[in-house]
Amino acid sequence: MTKKITDGMSLINRAIDRRFFLKATAGLGMASMASGLLAAVAHASGGLVALVHTQAAGDAGPVDSMIARLKQLSDEKGFEYRAVYAQDPATYETIFRTLGDAGAAVIVSTFNEVAEPFKALAPSYPNTKWVQLFADPFEPAIPNVVTVSYDYYLGCYLSGIFAARMSKSGKLGFIGGVSIPPINADFNAFKAGVLSVRPDATVTSAFAGSFQDPAKGQEIATQMFSSGIDFIQTDAAATDFGIIAAANEVPGRLVSVLDPAQFPKGPQSVISIVGLDFGTSLYNEVSKALGSGWAGGTHEHTGLGTGVIDFIRSPIFKEQGPAEIVSAAKATEAEIDAARAAILDGSLKVEFNTKL
Amino acid sequence: MEDIVIAILRSATPLVYVTLAGVIAQRAGIWHLGLEGLMISGACATVLGIVLTGSIWAALFWAIAVCVAGSVLFWFVVEKLRANQIIAGLGLTGLGLGGTTLAVQSIFGTQAAVSAPFGLPRLGPAFGAYGSLSILVLLMPVLVLAVWVMLRRTRFGLRLAASGEHPFAARGVGVNPSAMRLAALVMGGALCALAGAELATGSLQIFAQNMTAGRGFMGFAAVIFGAGHPIGATLAALFFAIVGAIGIKAQLIFGDRIPHDLLLGLPYIATVLGIWVSTKLRGGTKAANGFAELRNE
Repeated sequence: MTKKITDGMSLINRAIDRRFFLKATAGLGMASMASGLLAAVAHASGGLVALVHTQAAGDAGPVDSMIARLKQLSDEKGFEYRAVYAQDPATYETIFRTLGDAGAAVIVSTFNEVAEPFKALAPSYPNTKWVQLFADPFEPAIPNVVTVSYDYYLGCYLSGIFAARMSKSGKLGFIGGVSIPPINADFNAFKAGVLSVRPDATVTSAFAGSFQDPAKGQEIATQMFSSGIDFIQTDAAATDFGIIAAANEVPGRLVSVLDPAQFPKGPQSVISIVGLDFGTSLYNEVSKALGSGWAGGTHEHTGLGTGVIDFIRSPIFKEQGPAEIVSAAKATEAEIDAARAAILDGSLKVEFNTKL
Repeated sequence: MEDIVIAILRSATPLVYVTLAGVIAQRAGIWHLGLEGLMISGACATVLGIVLTGSIWAALFWAIAVCVAGSVLFWFVVEKLRANQIIAGLGLTGLGLGGTTLAVQSIFGTQAAVSAPFGLPRLGPAFGAYGSLSILVLLMPVLVLAVWVMLRRTRFGLRLAASGEHPFAARGVGVNPSAMRLAALVMGGALCALAGAELATGSLQIFAQNMTAGRGFMGFAAVIFGAGHPIGATLAALFFAIVGAIGIKAQLIFGDRIPHDLLLGLPYIATVLGIWVSTKLRGGTKAANGFAELRNE
């Protein structure tokens, strides 16, 4: 009797072995995700524009901006849109394939992590226009894919000029989230901007190791400020909140951040931003994709003068900041405008240097 | 110099609270890998509590309630369902990290940072340059001492230790080890809530996804480094905070001459080295053996 039970159990164990269990679970997961997504888009097939964002919404920054502008464009042009959060890279391909199967007209996504799924799937869905924001060019190009890159470092160069003029100590700081090539290039451009107008200044860089660790950001900024640095350019997403908190502790500490939503966090410390308006970029690219003259298989450089990237002074600081700093900031306008114009007409070259 | 000390106290305080939670659990025979999840839950609940109720005390109560509930769930899974405590702990951490994102999204329609209008009460001008620190920083040494007294000088502490080290012997004198573990985890839950509250509202007044950034796991490492002793583990946590501050200072001093990633990794390198050193010490060996026994269960 005992042997029969044991044999029965081993039979069950063989039938439901670990590999089978994992496969079944993965299959069920994929199927349920795909069916949920299909249900959401089925009724919208034909004119659907989908934004697949790989960072969380509610960031008061890029993702929220993209969703808001997509909704605006949807209201203006009368198409259906969906914003889908793809948190796990393992799900990217399934999500894109599901949208492609549903007949989406345009699929927009962000950052280089979606490049491989784009390359794998775009040729299979030639009637769908694929747009990748913040991307490197595809080699070879795919006829129904447009990639867009941003020359954000040019805005950092302008911020460097501004920072050099605003700093009393001549010591400036740069805090990045993670040391990766584009952020290294931002730092180098910021430093070049500083040194272009103040060769005796020093620029110190530090990295938090995360884009979502405000406590670490505060710790780094506190040490920077205590070492005599009086102006910090940030490039660290949510980590910036800690940097702003450190700046708010003592009057006279200045920071330049990333997004206009951060202006109210430091009415007397957040003096400017180097803005990258993903929402406007998405609006421009989707408008083009929905138009008749869309040219696929291309790569677009987006820089200054497009309304997407720029150095912008805080309107809140202008109203609430110390009068002497506000007037000093105003005095830099002509110099920054001249540098911006020189970059645009090609007379001033800013190096894209990713080496620290 | 004051700024550096303030920065170290700021980063050490949440680490010490979460470490104490790990120490109490370890004394009761539980290797608590759910500290990270409870800490992020405490951080999230505090910020949400402030935003929704407008009261820091209601927010702290809410945070403690959430973390205690998480701890009771952990106890139930480990004690009643007989789950492996390492796996259950990691599950609790996953629940905390994912659950906080879901909670914020459900309540505010956002998946990222939520700001609170105010944070924990500060020490105030009477403390000079240290006045910007929260009251939990001042409470930290008191709590460390209290935990030490409780574990080493009270009947409850001895019973807790007996439940962890010799549960059969404890049962023999009428102690219920399972109930003692529940008590330990509940106390740990409250401490994790305070750790999260300090991290999110001690000076920042913000909750961001995954903002604990491994601090719960560092607390767990500090328990091993400190051989499960409240004072030793606290010193280990302080050591990690100091190493972190040195890492930042080194970035500022050496600039680009030393890779930033190496300097950023200093606290984690110190953690590994610390655990290795602790195995060379008597208590550390004891703790490591405890871990080995767990594997053999």
